Amino acid sequence: MNNDIPRTQYAALNGSVVVDSILRLSPVSLLSNPVMFITELMFFIVAAMAIYPQGFAPAASVGERAYYVEIASILLITVWFSTLSDALAEQQAKNTAGSLRKLKTKVISKKVLREAFSSTVVPTSSDELSKGDLVLLEDGDVVPIDSEVLEGIAMVDESLLTGESAPVRKAPGDVLIGGSRIVSDTLTVRISVNPEEGYINQMIRMVESSKRPKTPNEQAVTIVLIGLTGIFTIIILALLGLSVTLGLGADLSVLIALYVCLLPTTIGALLPAIGLSGISRLYQRKIVAKSGRAVETAGDADVVLLDKTGTITVGNRAAIEFIPFEGYSERQVGEAAFLSSWYDDTPEGRSIIALSYNKGFVPKNLNSLPLSEVFEFSAVTRTSGVKIGRAQEFMLPKGRSRGRMRRKFSSDSVASDDDQSPDLEIIKGAPDSIKRALISPPQDFDAVVDAVAAAGETPMAISQNGEALGVIRLKDVLKPGIKEKIQGIKTMGIRPVMITGDQPLTAKSIAGEVGIDEYVPRAKPEDKFAIVQKEQAQSRVVAMIGDGTNDAPALAVADVGLAMNSGTEAAKEAANMVDLESNPAKIIDVVLLGKQLLMTRGAVTTFSIANDVAKYFAIMPVIFSATVPQLEALNILHLGLHSAVLSALIFNALVIPMLIPLAMRGVRFRPSGTMSLFLRNAFVYGIGGIVVPFIGIKLIDILLSAI
Amino acid sequence: MIDAIQAAYVVAILGAAIFSGWLLAPYVVGVYNRSPGRLDRFLDPLENLIYRVVGADPAHTMDWKQYFLAALLVNIVQMAIAAFILLFQGSLPLNPQGFSGLSWDLTFNTVVSIATNTNLQHYNGETTLSYLSQMSAIQFLQFTSAATGLCAAVAFVRGLTNGSRDMGNFYVDFVRSITRILIPLCFVAALVFVALGVPQTLGGYVTVKTIEGASQTILVGPVASLVSIMQIGTNGGGYYGANSAYPFQNPNPQSDILEIFLMLLLPTTLCFVYGLMLGKKRETRPVLFGAYALFAIDLIIAFIPTSTLNSGMEVRFAGFWSAFWTVVTTAVTTGSVNSTLASQHPLVVLSAFMGMLIQSTPGGIGAGLMYMVMYAVITVFIVGLMSGRTPEYLGFKIRSRDVLLVMSAFLIHPLIILVPTVLAYATGAASTIGLGTNSLGFTQVLYEFTSAAANNGSDFLGSMADTPFFNVSTGVVMFLGRYAPMGLLLALSGSVIGRKRSPESGLKTDTIAFTAVLVGSIMILVVLTFFPFLALGPILSYFQGNVNGLG
Repeated sequence: MNNDIPRTQYAALNGSVVVDSILRLSPVSLLSNPVMFITELMFFIVAAMAIYPQGFAPAASVGERAYYVEIASILLITVWFSTLSDALAEQQAKNTAGSLRKLKTKVISKKVLREAFSSTVVPTSSDELSKGDLVLLEDGDVVPIDSEVLEGIAMVDESLLTGESAPVRKAPGDVLIGGSRIVSDTLTVRISVNPEEGYINQMIRMVESSKRPKTPNEQAVTIVLIGLTGIFTIIILALLGLSVTLGLGADLSVLIALYVCLLPTTIGALLPAIGLSGISRLYQRKIVAKSGRAVETAGDADVVLLDKTGTITVGNRAAIEFIPFEGYSERQVGEAAFLSSWYDDTPEGRSIIALSYNKGFVPKNLNSLPLSEVFEFSAVTRTSGVKIGRAQEFMLPKGRSRGRMRRKFSSDSVASDDDQSPDLEIIKGAPDSIKRALISPPQDFDAVVDAVAAAGETPMAISQNGEALGVIRLKDVLKPGIKEKIQGIKTMGIRPVMITGDQPLTAKSIAGEVGIDEYVPRAKPEDKFAIVQKEQAQSRVVAMIGDGTNDAPALAVADVGLAMNSGTEAAKEAANMVDLESNPAKIIDVVLLGKQLLMTRGAVTTFSIANDVAKYFAIMPVIFSATVPQLEALNILHLGLHSAVLSALIFNALVIPMLIPLAMRGVRFRPSGTMSLFLRNAFVYGIGGIVVPFIGIKLIDILLSAI
Repeated sequence: MIDAIQAAYVVAILGAAIFSGWLLAPYVVGVYNRSPGRLDRFLDPLENLIYRVVGADPAHTMDWKQYFLAALLVNIVQMAIAAFILLFQGSLPLNPQGFSGLSWDLTFNTVVSIATNTNLQHYNGETTLSYLSQMSAIQFLQFTSAATGLCAAVAFVRGLTNGSRDMGNFYVDFVRSITRILIPLCFVAALVFVALGVPQTLGGYVTVKTIEGASQTILVGPVASLVSIMQIGTNGGGYYGANSAYPFQNPNPQSDILEIFLMLLLPTTLCFVYGLMLGKKRETRPVLFGAYALFAIDLIIAFIPTSTLNSGMEVRFAGFWSAFWTVVTTAVTTGSVNSTLASQHPLVVLSAFMGMLIQSTPGGIGAGLMYMVMYAVITVFIVGLMSGRTPEYLGFKIRSRDVLLVMSAFLIHPLIILVPTVLAYATGAASTIGLGTNSLGFTQVLYEFTSAAANNGSDFLGSMADTPFFNVSTGVVMFLGRYAPMGLLLALSGSVIGRKRSPESGLKTDTIAFTAVLVGSIMILVVLTFFPFLALGPILSYFQGNVNGLG
């Protein structure tokens, strides 16, 4: 996986994890893990052999007691490694969820009781609130439970939850997350969930492995493991039967050692941890999945619907060029743009200032700006502008009402020869609005405007005292790294589809820039539903993001629906994942995480099965060594008679903790085609799975014989 | 090792089988798709008559349960009829030698053996069976068992085909398999065999005076027709107990080559039929290349030792042709032999085991293809997870139930081989017939049940195993080995009907790369399952220096 995904923080291996892992050794709690249950059963048998070998004659002998103790200990450690990985993964998931839970402490809230003509405020503990209750939140209060704003506008600090440090403005209809804090003003909110239904509670429930239902893929892998266990059980019982009937004299403990070595203990031990870690990795990205299944489905996505704004572009445009009309210079356009944008505090306006400044188009009459009259952007005229008067005005400190108060003052900083010049009125805005206000538009007006639009960019016309000067070329700003991400999912065989309300030309240009072949221009939110249905009709798995109420139906039918936390309650209800940071580009991370989860599960399964080849070569020569010494020829590793079995068993046990990091952080991968991922992993974990144990067992054997 | 000329023969025969399979496949597909053909004029009235007599409606379509139960029912009825003939052949016509009826357990074993396409023979045909038994009980069932295999495979592929609605109609498939594929092929092959010197007569055994004045009985009968269907249908049950080591069944190297070719013909054809019926020709690749790659591994194992002529081998074929035949007959689970297995080098025996344990190299008619798809599904599921998507095969997602079905089908083989092998020793049945507790004896017992489970039919024991224990146990093993995986895999295919197919964005199973992974995972799965037992059998024999098994 790429480095852009933060590293997993491993849960510290603290005392409570160890205690938890030991408690999990109880056979009852192992019942859900058949492989480990059988391994523990085998431990009990070998332990019984150590205690009372006479009872197992002729398959056990008193002289081998110490050996039985060794084998039994390794078996128990094998099971313990398994429960340890479970406990660790659960602890890690709880830690992540817990960091979000911290804000979920009990608070005393002001519950509002409304009567016919008055309302009273009653202090109430947050856990006594229920869905539908009204709560008054004032400056400094903590939002008790997820709720919806009814009245008032306030700034809210959500940093604990989303990591975003700037307070967010919340107005009626917006959603508040339990745990966030009001930093200004007052709100009246309605509790939208019962205390036990909040996302965080939902998250915490999901990470308690005992309560977590197996996903369909986990179920299928479990069936494979049970099948393999069945096969190896038949094999060992047959070997035992043959040993007795043919008088081959195999020791039961060695047969059990072979049995446990063959059992897919590695994947059996790590399967729960792999699934759990997948969910934790989502939490670390501040995404709450409502089920483990949703994460896996994300890995299967064939189509990802990407909203242009917020996902591909940062949502703002930036000026990149000044194009003068005939008879004007670029400088004139640039200076006019500078002046008209001085009070335009939008990102677009700031980008115009920056462009002018960089090009050196700083107007001389800058100093008169503080005295100008500002026409703020109006949705009706779709223009904004500035009027710089001839009359001198007072310089005012920058503030809320900057430039609005006009007070004459005298200054010598403004050149006196300007005194006779008329008022300078500069208007910028949508070309058609500007054009309408012109007395005689320049001949090349339409040509320049259309050329910019044809390139997929946004033209903004600028006029000065009723004469059009030129056009500012505004361009969508791509999110950093989005192009690579889109290229990544494309190489993985996933089709990105861009949804935008833009004109077709603009949409085409943006799509082309990031390498998206399919886009839906002039899309209304309702269109998403139709697109999802169309793709699903062709049996494709669709992933999408959504925030508005209009998105809810599409989120509900999409295979993977990621709702923005800033979105409406309906959208969050319909989606199967919620991004607390409300970053729509994360849909791509979700898809990659889903793939990583499946890949990790497959890799450990393949590795586990491939390991068995070496274990046969280690143990087969030993089983019947007393009666069939010729099988020593299979001992290609030249292992010692006693140490062969122990080496194989120790390797089998040690592989589990060694793979815990892999299980928890997932298989690393670079986005590439399905087939190349498959082949690369098949090589690493298949061939590697065959070779590694040969080396590992031999090394342990050397160590053992040295002792 | 083999020399260049021998290697050229191997390549030429395998190449001929693949080429002929490619030629024949479109015709076979046409037979099952009921495409109009030149034979319709003659065969349509005949087939319609058959449908009317048995009361089958050719327009009726079946789901997997109906299809499987129809196949099972037809097979059991045929077993019952054959059992009647064998039990009472003494009182039935066409019995010039006056052979008496068979014992109940040998009858049970024989009818199951022939009907399941196994042809494990615990009898010597020439001294046990009347002409009527040979032609009706044995030869007819060899046709129907091959037809059953063809039908199962075709229905299986129909279920997997995108957009299919049903599994077809068993009765129609069954009749057309016989009338349009097996009979025409066998007719041509039998004529060639007669030309090569194989007898075909109902005139009774001939007694002649030899030069030394002694009297000798020449055992002749309808041999050519039986040889044709036994090889084409991957049955393997010969006219004579010595099977194709007997000169009348396999008189010369030409007939030997022809028989090897015929064994390979239909299993190879079905690999091409798979891709054609699916409408994805490239899906033939993993099935065909995978099968032949595994087959090549078997051949290499068998050809490592120098093929020497041992006692129990035919001088006509010498060591090489005997070893080659042994690999082929197990690779397609035919089970016919042209030498005594006991005289083969342990590595040849090991190779024979591999063929029967894998069962899809390319395997018996129908069964081989179904097993290969089973392996493909397991491989796609386990290894395919590493592509980062929920595993899909032919576009359908592999669900828990599919995994359950394929794992169960895979589990059956070790279960029905290993349990009776242990029982044979535990009950003393093996020692009763003189089988030792050494590697040779163990090899023989293991081989007996492996051959039965794989519906192969070659064996070390022959009529020696005509004891109630071996007759009943191998009978049960053959029955389960045939019908249990067939039912489970038809259930898999049946459940795929109507399932959503994703566009081709997942794992590409029609590539050489996937084929390589498939071959690797089949080897690992099969070796993991049977390695300890092969180690106690042929591998131990090898290490003990029993280069010649008889020694």
